[in-house]
Amino acid sequence: MTAITAANINASREARPRRLEPGALMIVPALLWLVLFGVVPMILLGCMSLWRSTIFGIEMEWNLDNYRTIFSDDVYMRVLAQTLRIALASTVLSLILSYPLAYFLASAKGRKKTALVLLVFLPFWTSYVIRSYVWLPMLGRQGLVNQVLLWLGVVDAPIDWFLFNEGTVYLGLVYVYMLFMTLPIYLSLDRLDPKLVEAANDLGARPAQTFVRVVLPLSMPGVLSGCTMVFLLACGVYVTPQLLGGPSAVMFGNIIASQFLTSNNWALGAALSVILVVLVLGCLYLAGLRWGLQRLFMGAGH
Amino acid sequence: MVTAPARIVPSHAAPADPMSLVRPVAVGIVDVWKSFGATTVLKGVSVTIGKGEFFSLLGPSGCGKTTLLRMIGGFEAPTAGEIRIDGKDVGGLPPYARATNMIFQQLALFPHLDVFENVAFGLRVQKHPKGDIAAKVKEALALVRLEGFERRMPDQLSGGQRQRVAMARAIVNEPSVLLLDEPLGALDLQLRLQMHEELRRLQRTLGNTFVFVTHDQSEAMAMSDRIAVMNAGEIIQIGTPEEIYEQPKSRFVAQFVGHTNLFDGKVVAAEGQRVTVDCAGTPIVAHAARPVERGSNVTVAVRFERIGLGAKETTIEGRVVERMFLGGAVRLVIGYSDDRRMTADIATNGVTPSIAVGEPIAVGFNSADARVLTS
Repeated sequence: MTAITAANINASREARPRRLEPGALMIVPALLWLVLFGVVPMILLGCMSLWRSTIFGIEMEWNLDNYRTIFSDDVYMRVLAQTLRIALASTVLSLILSYPLAYFLASAKGRKKTALVLLVFLPFWTSYVIRSYVWLPMLGRQGLVNQVLLWLGVVDAPIDWFLFNEGTVYLGLVYVYMLFMTLPIYLSLDRLDPKLVEAANDLGARPAQTFVRVVLPLSMPGVLSGCTMVFLLACGVYVTPQLLGGPSAVMFGNIIASQFLTSNNWALGAALSVILVVLVLGCLYLAGLRWGLQRLFMGAGH
Repeated sequence: MVTAPARIVPSHAAPADPMSLVRPVAVGIVDVWKSFGATTVLKGVSVTIGKGEFFSLLGPSGCGKTTLLRMIGGFEAPTAGEIRIDGKDVGGLPPYARATNMIFQQLALFPHLDVFENVAFGLRVQKHPKGDIAAKVKEALALVRLEGFERRMPDQLSGGQRQRVAMARAIVNEPSVLLLDEPLGALDLQLRLQMHEELRRLQRTLGNTFVFVTHDQSEAMAMSDRIAVMNAGEIIQIGTPEEIYEQPKSRFVAQFVGHTNLFDGKVVAAEGQRVTVDCAGTPIVAHAARPVERGSNVTVAVRFERIGLGAKETTIEGRVVERMFLGGAVRLVIGYSDDRRMTADIATNGVTPSIAVGEPIAVGFNSADARVLTS
């Protein structure tokens, strides 16, 4: 009987003439926007990466020199590897910090919940640059933390290793991007039917077992979505490492920025950008194969 | 908090309560109170449920029946009073430490687990050996007739099938007490009738105690060994479905269970259990389970279907105001003595009585079918 219905459905699907869904036209503005600000710049970037920068400007002569330069100098590859490592580590750190926070937010009730969610959002109304910059007056030699430590007599001289290392970059990245992790996890936890937790308890699961077997799997869409967002954002970052990283924690974004802003080698910068984009798209593709693209971005459940 | 010893048989349940006298006690609820903030939802409820009994908590929404069920399951703590399961005080025990399992109103199947894993959940968290789990899940799925559905996800099942998964998931743990929180509410009528049979069959096969919460009186009557009728946080009456139906103690029970005419009046004559009540000029001969005094105000309850055409011990003459064909019966709303209304269901037996709206009519009932309410 099921076979018959399935066959019927297939038959009716095939018989139906191909027609545009009603409302298909509604996506046209979004599509235009995407083409204009997403696809066209990418094509330009791709073209430029195959041209040549000279002191007189861009020469539109097709060649692969930029890519040859990049792949022959292992500095670029080292920075690329370091970038992926930092992005991955910041993602994991954000996840570790965000999950308990999101859980706490989701389990709050009524007014308290509104207030707490607002508090979590509040810093994100400030610019990203300021949120990175703010760590300088906090952690610098004359910064707040050193002042307090000196005043308390914990140290005799100000500590100068707070800033300008990889650790500070993690701190900055996690602080700047954590919301993109917290929010999807919070949403998936908030949507979780509390009756499922009751059902698990009823069936004999202790709180820890309930978490592992019910809460965690059902919040995975939020976790995946958050990890994707933070990883993508951290891969392309350059302000945070520039302000907080110092020379040892240079990221790929910094190299690209310097080609455009200081070295005036736009073609090489374009080639570096293309490599980063391809790499990130590759990561996304692999993750999409495993979990489905829709889940990665929408946090859509089951 | 409560020092009174657990009474095995609450006094008000004793006379009409043969079940709990012969069976060992599965659930004992002793003077349980529950308040949420300023609202008191349970006001000193006591009831004893026997082992292997199919027991229903019946009442309108907000009467406290679900709260009582959730307290047995360990999801709410009583504000005062004691709950005992298999003779042990379970106060303070979380749900996972109780020998109860609940079938939830919204079923609460785990959406990320297939049918097999849903049913196996309880066994897995209680660390049963792997081989055991497969065998037990198979057995439970066979009991609810869901063999072959092991690898389906809950959203690939029909309402009735989901219902069966929820049942299998609960019974596979062999709970001493199975709690059912209106689990059939979402199903259509046909499926519900089918599930009534299924639940009865399961309960007979397994022999567990079932505590069933419902607001549907026909559902409660069809399935239960005994029913506790609840209203506004109190148990109004406990008894077998027959007792509840035939001997309602109060106005509330008479109206909530089945369709009932209520006649208010003054007792004008009493000879033993046979009394005559004057209801605004209409004399009604009724049966009083407890002696009533002449001159006292009482209410007489008469079921719609116990009223027939023609003269009986009590005869009422009036005019047909409304006529509805119900299939097995014709429902007549009859106006009598000025502006009073009563309703009679006249069995058709294949021949529909030819009575039209506006025609004069005489209907009657015998004293055995007219009960004086005792409270």
